Formats: sequence, structure tokens, C-alpha cells
Amino acid sequence: MSVGLDNLKHVVVLMMENRSFDHMLGGLKKRNPQIAGLNGDESNPDTDGQIVTVAPKAIYRGQLARDPDHHFPGADIQIYGGAPPGPGRVANMQGFVKSYATQGTGTQGSHAIMNYFAPEKIPVLTTLATEYAVFNGWFSSIPGPTICNRAFAHYGTSFGNVDMNMFLVTDADRNKIPTIYERLKDGGHGAKLYYFDEPSSTMEIVNLIKDQSFFATFDQFAADCKSGNLPEYSFIEPNYSDHPGPGGGQLLANDQHPDHHVLAGDKFIASVYNQIRIIPDLWKSTALLIVYDEHGGLYDHVVPPDCTADGFTAAQAATGVPGLEFKFDRLGIRVPAILVSPYIPRGTVVPGTEDPANQRVFEHASIPATVTKQFLAGKDIGTDREKGAETFLDLLGDNLRPDNDCVFFKM
Amino acid sequence: MALEDAPTVEVLKFDEKEAYNHDRPISSLIRTQLLHLHHSENLVVPSKARTNININHLLTERQASEYIQKVTRLLHQYGKTINESKPKKQKKTTTKNASRKSVKRNALK
Repeated sequence: MSVGLDNLKHVVVLMMENRSFDHMLGGLKKRNPQIAGLNGDESNPDTDGQIVTVAPKAIYRGQLARDPDHHFPGADIQIYGGAPPGPGRVANMQGFVKSYATQGTGTQGSHAIMNYFAPEKIPVLTTLATEYAVFNGWFSSIPGPTICNRAFAHYGTSFGNVDMNMFLVTDADRNKIPTIYERLKDGGHGAKLYYFDEPSSTMEIVNLIKDQSFFATFDQFAADCKSGNLPEYSFIEPNYSDHPGPGGGQLLANDQHPDHHVLAGDKFIASVYNQIRIIPDLWKSTALLIVYDEHGGLYDHVVPPDCTADGFTAAQAATGVPGLEFKFDRLGIRVPAILVSPYIPRGTVVPGTEDPANQRVFEHASIPATVTKQFLAGKDIGTDREKGAETFLDLLGDNLRPDNDCVFFKM
Repeated sequence: MALEDAPTVEVLKFDEKEAYNHDRPISSLIRTQLLHLHHSENLVVPSKARTNININHLLTERQASEYIQKVTRLLHQYGKTINESKPKKQKKTTTKNASRKSVKRNALK
């Protein structure tokens, strides 16, 4: 066991919303060719057959006012270029522009889906990606929307759902596979799900009504960091809406869901990082994972790989794609993921599918798999999918980077 | 070595007042959150304490956030009560039922 792992007491996960790897971090390949981002010549055809090439023209707000399709049928078009299910169809990542055109953008407006951020436009995310560890191969768990993907982070499965309705899951099914919070509680450990505030609340409502004790606000996260009461596992949800704050203030959505202001999210990521960074003991004993729940319909050039089936099947009627039932044996589209710890060497790039000999493929089931392995060693819990998922704490090494080698964000 | 020695990176400033728009129409994500909360409200909160808000009339982020706040508070309030007291209540009910049954049985005798 490494010194970093030996000293680890806390795992914190911040899950943002709806942005693909290439959209947020693709521009970093020019700085470091090891990062599996964009060469600049990747393209998709539009509905008129015109070729649309990726461009560093993403803006913070206003370009994606029409929410790109990120539900199962939309993601299927994006991955397979619109080819219907059947033998011989090939995943080619050629359907993003066509898919966005179905959202009423017009042909010209659909080109925006190929835009990505120049790294200097989102300095917090890109700094953390280059200062700590960036995953070339972290994929969403399902080629589909938020709720089912987030379920993989909490349960290691979505119980056969490829859509937004976790309330269709029966209690009997849910009780067979407890959440990571329940597992830790049963094992005598602490776990909390920190939502931003009450007006934003949580996307984990199924659990909110099941056990209140797991939930707290982001203010409480800050207080728990300061008071030394952070539990072993924390999951943070951003603010999902613009709404009035206490005392007449205005609180901006900081989840980065299109079309929320991307810099509000960059600032929020900095605030989560700083909360941990400023407390020496906490900093040395915490691993912070920043990850996005799904791609949000935005372009990524990497074909999602096959994965261990999780034992459920979504019928044709559930997938919404004629002729396709889904056995959860292929991952969703790639998302940004960054692991932060002072025990991670600067500039660590975890190889993905671009490097078949050394590839490590991660997805959201990697979260409960990692936390279970770290804090509940020996417990045989979860689906085959979760048990087969890569875990990530081995990235913590033996050497503690000194303070003058670990950034701090000036807010 | 202290935190003061840490290299700093500036978070980019932007006009937050200009960016703020609580009248933005809600996304399908927030629409789903409303549906889940409404379902939970009916499941957990006693009818007298429910908001009785028609979520189909909530169209903007501000409107949604007001409902979300109210129901989150209610779920914290009533969710806890249910989780903690349900087993006790069941026990009492069982005892009462058992004694009622035995009374009935005795009466029948």
C-alpha cells in the first residue's frame, strides 16, 4: 500500500452536469499530447452533408440555449451516426450535429455542438486536470441522461433504467443493492450527500425519502471540513438553478448544465477544492474526484467501449430505439474526470482506449467500487458490473507534494 | 512550508448579475426533479401539510426552486418522523389490535 493510500481518510466526489470530455478538456491535447483530446480535425456531417469540424469556439452561455439531446435515442444517433440498429452498424461518433439539429436549432445552429473550450477559458478545471490526474477513459455509465447515470455513482447500477425515472425501481430491487451510503453506515463509517441548498436540493430524491440522515447542504460541507467532521465519503451536488439567495442575494446555477454559465461552475469547483486545500490535515488525507454525470449531447470523439453487463435489460419500449433492447453492456459517452490529491504526481494522465496496451476504463460504477474497496474491504456487494469496475485510489503514490507545489485558487 | 507558499491561479471573474436569470425556463432535468419531489410529497407528507401546488404551472427556475425548497423541508420533517417512528407505531398498533381481537374473541365467547 502506498503512503498516500495509507494516509487516506476521506473520499470526496463532486459530480457536475452534462459536458463531454472533448468539450471541456479536448483543447489540452495541444499542451500535452498524452491527453486524449482533440487534434483539431475531428468532424461530423450536418443534415445537409456539410462537414463540421471541431473548433475552440465554445462560449460560457447562450450557445446551447436549446438543450442538446442526451436521452438514450439521442445518444444512439450520436454514437452510430443515425444508423438504425442491426448487424454491421458501427459506432463512429458521427451523429452529434444531426442529433442537435433535431432540437430545433436549424442546420447552422446545430454546428455549435462541435465547439470546445480553449483551456484558458476554464482555468480551474484545466489547471486541476494538468496539476493532478486526468482520466483519458472515464465514461458515463449509460448512453443516456442524468438520473440513471447518477444512479451508477450511488448504487453501481441503475436497476435497468436508461431514463430519468428511478421511482420505477421496486423497493425489492433497491434493497438487494444498497447505496454506497447505506453500505458505509452499516459498516460503521460516515457518508454524506451534500446538496447545494434547499431550493436546489438533490437529484437523489428516492434516497432522500428513505433516509434523511445522509443529506446535508454545501454550507454544512464547509463546516464539516473546518470542524474535522468530514465523513469518510462525501458526494457533492452543485446548484441546479438560478434562484434568490438568503438576504436578497442571487445564487447562480453552478452545475454547468447547458445553458447555465460555465464560469459559475468553474468557480464552484475551485471553492470545493479550496475548502479541502486550506486545511493541512484534511488536504493530506483526502482524495477529491471531479467528474461529470454524462456528456449532455456534446461531441466527443472516443467510441464508448463494451463493458460487463450489469444483469439488467432495458426493453425496446424503454430504450425508445426501434429494434434495440439494451443489456447495459456498452458504456456511455466520455466525460471529464480528474482526481486530486497531494500524493498524485503533477501531470498524471491515466491512459484510456487510445492506448490499448495500458488502457484503464472507468465509469460511474467505479465510484462505489472504489469506496467499497477502500472502506469496506472484503464486502461482497454490488452487481457484476460494479465488481468488474476499475478503481482509482492506486493513483495515490508515496510522495507528498509540498505546499509550494500544490495550487490554490484566488476567488 | 505553508499555504502562503502555494502557487495561485485566479478564478475568472464575470458579471454575475448579468448572468443571473431566474426566469429561465426549466430544463428537463429540473422538470424530472419536480415530478420526483411531487411524487415523494404525496408519498411521505400528510395531506394536511402538503403544498397543494400544481407543478405543471411551474415554468421558471425561480418558481421551481421555491417549490423544491418547500418540499425538501417537508420531506426532511416528515421523512424523519416516518423513518424513526413507524416501527414503534406498528408495534403499538399490533398490541392494540391484538388486545382488541382478544376482547372481541372474549365478547364472542
